[in-house]
Amino acid sequence: MLVVEDLVKRYDRFVAVDHLSMTVERGHVFGFVGPNGAGKTTTMRIAATLLAPTSGSVRVAGFDVMEEPIKVRRKIGYMPDFFGVYDNLKAMEYLDFYGASYGIPYKERQKTAEGLLNLVGLANKRDNYVDSLSRGMKQRLCLARSLMHDPELLILDEPASGMDPRARVELKNILKELKNMGKTILISSHILSELSEMCDSIGIIEHGRLVVSGDVKNIMETVSGRLTVRIKLLDDMDRAINILKEQPLVSDIFQEDDMLEIGYKGKDEDLWPLLKTLVASDVPIISFSKTDGNLEKVFMEVTQDEEMV
Amino acid sequence: MKRWFNNPVLAGELKIRMRSWRTVLMIMGYLAIMLAIAYLFLETSMQTLSRYGSVNISRDLGLQLYTILAVIQFMLIIILIPAQTAGSISGEREKQTLDLLLCTPLSSLAIVLGKMLSSMSFVLLLTIASIPLFSLVFLFGGIAPMDIITLFVFYLITAFAVGSIGIFCSVLFKKTVTATVAAYIVIFALGIITLLLGAYMTSEFAGKNPHFSGVYIAFPFYLNPAIGLFDLLGQQSGGTGGVGLTILGVSSAMYNANVAMTGGLSWMAQKLGVWGTNSVVISVIAIILLLISAWVVKPVRVLKTHSSKRHSADASVN
Ligand SMILES: Nc1ncnc2c1ncn2[C@@H]1O[C@H](COP(=O)(O)OP(=O)(O)OP(=O)(O)O)[C@@H](O)[C@H]1O
Ligand SMILES: [Mg+2]
Repeated sequence: MLVVEDLVKRYDRFVAVDHLSMTVERGHVFGFVGPNGAGKTTTMRIAATLLAPTSGSVRVAGFDVMEEPIKVRRKIGYMPDFFGVYDNLKAMEYLDFYGASYGIPYKERQKTAEGLLNLVGLANKRDNYVDSLSRGMKQRLCLARSLMHDPELLILDEPASGMDPRARVELKNILKELKNMGKTILISSHILSELSEMCDSIGIIEHGRLVVSGDVKNIMETVSGRLTVRIKLLDDMDRAINILKEQPLVSDIFQEDDMLEIGYKGKDEDLWPLLKTLVASDVPIISFSKTDGNLEKVFMEVTQDEEMV
Repeated sequence: MKRWFNNPVLAGELKIRMRSWRTVLMIMGYLAIMLAIAYLFLETSMQTLSRYGSVNISRDLGLQLYTILAVIQFMLIIILIPAQTAGSISGEREKQTLDLLLCTPLSSLAIVLGKMLSSMSFVLLLTIASIPLFSLVFLFGGIAPMDIITLFVFYLITAFAVGSIGIFCSVLFKKTVTATVAAYIVIFALGIITLLLGAYMTSEFAGKNPHFSGVYIAFPFYLNPAIGLFDLLGQQSGGTGGVGLTILGVSSAMYNANVAMTGGLSWMAQKLGVWGTNSVVISVIAIILLLISAWVVKPVRVLKTHSSKRHSADASVN
């Protein structure tokens, strides 16, 4: 559905996207992850025909973004990271306006707009002025807007930023529904743990380069290949750290307030001896739990490694 | 063609504009200024009329009132249009709505034209709202309804030309404030420079051809809609309204046919008159400016050299 090949984007001498290649399969949800300034927005804007690449190519449903931008625009729904709304326009009229821009006949776009307002949970706001909506509502409205012409590929640039936790869950449900409708979705986010549940595959980008990409499960296994254990202590943080450091299977230790998070190279059955050692040393443990390797840590690791290179 | 007037940008823009209080206030302020001036004029000249009332004086007063209203309206349009257009694209950029518009299949020319047409319809609205005031002139005689229609058409052409400069600035500058200031500077500088340059060329010409008895109109004059306006008003008042192109030393000589004309575009001026030529010249420049603006707004610009195949396929379908 989306094929990026050897994409380069330079601003003067600064390289924002550096020989990036990736593919998003039809019907997949692809999570696009990277630290600030990694080049996510730049890549997405190129795919949305809003920016010309320096070299390389991006194809959407077989159409090159440079050669046939209009055809590409009919295939994609783009939701930028920052966007504004017109004053003096009601939610329904807002959708109608963009529907008209896609050349959809009046009756049809009214029907589509009603349906989409329902989908994003704004049906009761249909006659409210857009600039009176809250930021999260505007974002949902913008998502509805990007769906007006029934695009095959959705390009969502940090759609969850600015949403409260509840709205995020709702967004996730909407995206699931869209996936079920057969849409392909390219989504960027800083909230990695959310992406891990939702995405079929992810790509981690840094300094304009794709560092890791592929199936979510594979990435978790290959990159971490070990367990993460959370230990909560009442006291004696330093002593616990010293003991943990002596353990051969403990790979790294993060400290966060009264919580320790450790990487453990052993298997599940190697965990209880670890706990036994700690308890035997009188470390006041109040909680000891295994967590699934989360994407955030994968991300931290990959990007750290990159920086060291 | 149909798609131009079925332009979603125009429709949306009109909807937003007509809803805002600013538009209402502007129309009211506009009419108030026009009305105040008409009132002042009538107040001072009615006394003259009642004292020496005769058909001729009445006709002259009518022409004077018409000229004053026409010039004031012209000035108001020149002052309002840059403010209307200079924010059109930069405002979308500032509001961060431009990207959303650009990633629809609408061409950048359609977007620019939509903005242009919406500003034009605002001018149209203002001029239509001023019709009742203008019809005061009919009380005195001397001016026909057709004259007013012609004048309004000239206003629209002027608005189009001035507006295209506003849009061009709006495309070039990121901020509306900068674009607006730039538009005003460009428009007033152009107004003055064309006048000075034209006057200079005229005196040069007169110095070189002391025995020339025809009319010489320097090309820069055709770039200035004020020249067109004065020519039009002079023509409508039969060269006796006190205006016309007396500033150029041409005045009523122009309207006696069979005058030898020289200067740039004199072949056109001979057919269309000075204001007609002026309209054509500024329209052509406006169209060029709009095309350039559309080109600049376009996010992805490709020189289509390798797609001639597709073009010919399109042609065969038509
Ligand atoms: N118009 C521009 N001119 C110059 N540099 C730019 C421009 N736009 C982006 N950049 C640079 O390109 C790099 C990539 O930016 P981009 O917005 O793609 O990052 P991002 O991954 O989306 O970051 P974030 O997570 O903060 O949104 C940044 O270093 C940025 O400074
Ligand atoms: Mg970004």
